[in-house]
Amino acid sequence: MTDEKQRSDERLWAEEKQRMLESFDNKVADRYPLKEFHNIGRRGVRRTDGYEKATGAARYTLDVQLPGMLYGRFLTSPYPHARIVSLDTSAAEALPGVRTIIRWDDPEMDVEVPLAGHELNSIRPLSNIAHWQGEEVGAFVCADSEEIAEQALKLLKVEWEQRPFVLDVEKALEPGAPLSNPEYNPDGNLAPNDIYVEGHGDPEKGFAEADKILEFKFTFGQNTWVGPERPCGVWRWNGEYAEVWVKQQRPHIAKRAISQWFGGIPMNKIDLHCLYQGASFGGWSQMGWNLGGMYCAAVAAKRTGRPVKWLFSRREDFYGGEMDAGVFYLKVGCKLDGTITAVEERGVVVNQAMPVFGIAKHFIDNTRVPHVRGRTEAVWVNRGPNVPTRCEQNLNCYSLCWVTNRVADALGLDPIEVALKNDGAEGHDIEWLNARKAELGFPVRDSLRECIAAGKAAIGWDQKWHPPGTKRLPNGRMHGMAFTWTHEWDDSAGSSEVGIYIERNDGTCTILGCRADGGQNAETTYCQIAADELGYPVEMVRFKHMDDAGFFTMTPDTSTNLSVNGWAVRHAARLLKQRILEAAVAPRGVTQLTSFPPAFPGKRPEELDIKDAVIFEKANPENRMSVADFVGPSGAQGPIVSPIGEPILAGREGLGYPMRLTPPTFDFAWHVQRGTYLGLRLRFCRQAHFMEVEVDPETGEVEVTRVVTVNDVGKVINWEGCEGQAYGGAYMGVGRGRTEEVVWDPRTGIMLNGNLLNYKIPTLMDIGEIQTVLLETGMGYGPYGAVGIGEDVATVLPALIGPAVHNALGVWIDRYPVTPDVVLAALGKA
Amino acid sequence: MPHIGDKQPVSQPVSEPVPRPVSLGTVTLTVNGEVHELIVEPQWTLQYVLHDKLGLIGTKEFCGEGACGACTVILEGRPVLSCLMLAIECDGKNIETIEGIARANHPLIEAYIKHSCMQCGFCTPGFVVTAKALLDRNPDPSIEEIKEAMVGNLCRCGTYPAHIRAIEEAAAILRGVLVAQGGEGRD
Ligand code: FES
Ligand code: FES
Repeated sequence: MTDEKQRSDERLWAEEKQRMLESFDNKVADRYPLKEFHNIGRRGVRRTDGYEKATGAARYTLDVQLPGMLYGRFLTSPYPHARIVSLDTSAAEALPGVRTIIRWDDPEMDVEVPLAGHELNSIRPLSNIAHWQGEEVGAFVCADSEEIAEQALKLLKVEWEQRPFVLDVEKALEPGAPLSNPEYNPDGNLAPNDIYVEGHGDPEKGFAEADKILEFKFTFGQNTWVGPERPCGVWRWNGEYAEVWVKQQRPHIAKRAISQWFGGIPMNKIDLHCLYQGASFGGWSQMGWNLGGMYCAAVAAKRTGRPVKWLFSRREDFYGGEMDAGVFYLKVGCKLDGTITAVEERGVVVNQAMPVFGIAKHFIDNTRVPHVRGRTEAVWVNRGPNVPTRCEQNLNCYSLCWVTNRVADALGLDPIEVALKNDGAEGHDIEWLNARKAELGFPVRDSLRECIAAGKAAIGWDQKWHPPGTKRLPNGRMHGMAFTWTHEWDDSAGSSEVGIYIERNDGTCTILGCRADGGQNAETTYCQIAADELGYPVEMVRFKHMDDAGFFTMTPDTSTNLSVNGWAVRHAARLLKQRILEAAVAPRGVTQLTSFPPAFPGKRPEELDIKDAVIFEKANPENRMSVADFVGPSGAQGPIVSPIGEPILAGREGLGYPMRLTPPTFDFAWHVQRGTYLGLRLRFCRQAHFMEVEVDPETGEVEVTRVVTVNDVGKVINWEGCEGQAYGGAYMGVGRGRTEEVVWDPRTGIMLNGNLLNYKIPTLMDIGEIQTVLLETGMGYGPYGAVGIGEDVATVLPALIGPAVHNALGVWIDRYPVTPDVVLAALGKA
Repeated sequence: MPHIGDKQPVSQPVSEPVPRPVSLGTVTLTVNGEVHELIVEPQWTLQYVLHDKLGLIGTKEFCGEGACGACTVILEGRPVLSCLMLAIECDGKNIETIEGIARANHPLIEAYIKHSCMQCGFCTPGFVVTAKALLDRNPDPSIEEIKEAMVGNLCRCGTYPAHIRAIEEAAAILRGVLVAQGGEGRD
């Protein structure tokens, strides 16, 4: 090796290492963005999943059918709290087509195993005690068809011992209330470790400094995800190998749990498929509940020697919910100019299986309010588990919305003024936050002000906003407008591994990484990143994400697709490009038959570049070779080899070049994000949303006529994807705030509306018009300054209906969803 | 069989085995122009037969009870909810599914991709079929007419606004006032 070459290699390696190290630190701005974008930020990039999904070819776990496959269904509890005393399965077993019935008291089921979730906590996969009506309990029936399994369930003879139950969280806290789950919580319905407290400063001091103190309460009813694909999964034993199809947002977590089962299944003996997901928005996938079906299917598949698909019914999908249900008490101190001096909040929330996020955290993350205290009490009642479902931050968003609007109303101010007055972070004002932006290398922009300016213009705020209860429309309805705000987030402490590969023969590029598709079009986004980083047309890049190829990428989780996977793809693509260019100047092929001379003899890698999948010399673009031609010789005769690495004598000619028998056509990278949960990152990007409603004071009906969403996403990589999350989130948000509520019969504890006829998700007609505005301040921690958007609008918007109705009628509603009866009650008419 | 749904919780177990339905029927279905002779059980829905027996997995079941439109197919020229139809009732009928619409290269397909009408995609085929039926009977629908025709299709991901744009565009292409771009549209 020449000295010059060696020096160049050393320099490149040192730079590469430095870059990787710096990129790994995700608490600063992107220091090495691309200078030019071709696919990133371009409108009209064709979705990689578009044709499959538009034509019905896209395959979901529910579509999987295997030869000889059995269908498994669970017995569910008819009572909100009950124990199975005895179970006679003989009649069910006698039904033709029933192949096996797994009982909780079968010897194989006398185990405790981890069933997903982030931690490997072990529980029994099938219990004989149900803590809510509809909980799967006692038996899992496998038959030739779902219909037969269902008939067999009706033939199970069950003797139940009914237990007292409680459905309401506040009643559950009263002395002498029935214990909802004596197995978990023998002393009451609130366990000490289910209380989450956060805050800073001293609220008492803040209240003493205040000109005005407000106290108010609101309650949020139970809503749920309603994933269009029913929960399900498939298990097949291929000899000693387990082949599994998971309907799961977190395939890597599922695989980790599965590897603990049956005395341990080596990770490399589990073949995992994670097909398209008929959406669950987080919720469903968080649950141990989820893999319970998988475990029973595995046992049944072992017993019968046949593949087993387990499924929930549509109704069974309704038993889990979003974790925003509860009762919230707020006390707020403020100055007359709108400066908030203290916020104290107590939330009594329903069955939060993962109370990961306090309810007042956005006041800390996002405002200058010096004194904040939040206390979340996660009380257990006899209803299903509630988990983050687009997403765990909603109570924060609701609280910020209510405080902003109640303070404005109490002081006679525009809520926008109140927001601007209190924007900041960690108790500091916006000036302090701006100084931090500069320190970390971000552009210093006032994101909230920019969002507000764009949103006000779009909705015509200055022309249309009016004091509460003052604008009657010609149609007799009352007109209302409202505004809310918070930051953008992509919080998860996630990690991602990504492989990237240039295919033999044609030089197309494949990104490898198993993850779930939640429909955000993230896969296209990764292709856009890889394309721009490699110098490829995006059409030549594909992300293969459905099969476990040893690389696990971040799940579509906490709006964190991009900020983790985007980095990993970018690192991998950059490393691969470097590898290709280094290989391009060296003897590039040693195959069984021959070797090939360097493609660019006498050049150094840094003199070359790639554009449109063609390698060329920067100083002389005529000197060029397509990547397809470059890898072409490898097609028939084995991989081309890279001259990078330890000297190895390779090939029959025994070339003395330093070689590593790795094709220069593959690389991999990873990214680890240390999340905001740990308080490590300040949030700089903001979002602001505006809503217009018409309320009929006679019927109480609320019509949402217009929504303007403004999201500062830092940098737009895929426009259609971001906009889809904004308007899609708007529909979901309006549904949650306006019509969606799961209802139980207080007398029997039975869920009354677990179906799509009686649980109302929004239709095309439920919002008059939506305008989605995206801003790009570059202040996100993701690659190119991007930040997440997936959960934002659906999470921030529900509460906004309250202030909008207040602006229309001049009265505060205190209960969500804001159904006509709630409005009439607020008007004293019901 | 799609789930029947446990609408009433099981509290009174039946003690004797329910006899399995035995009266099978033979039906002839013409699906996307192909003739299928099938033996069906009387309670099998059309959705189940198309999806599970004929492998036409684009006909999706979301709600299973007529509330969402995911299972829409075109039966003798009219959009119907195949989860509410019994296969045995469809003897001798002509049925068009999403697979047939795709095979015919209907401009709705490219318009749907271009306007990003899918997120998770589970509801998407039902929307395309409903839209196809609309354009068959009304080649130049107004926005209000599009909304009216599509309001029975539920999308949990909230893709609604994109469908209106795509349907308008496909209608224009079909009427010949817009040239199909095919593949990628660039703004
Ligand atoms: S599945 Fe047929 S209408 Fe919903
Ligand atoms: S795209 Fe997910 S339900 Fe419509």
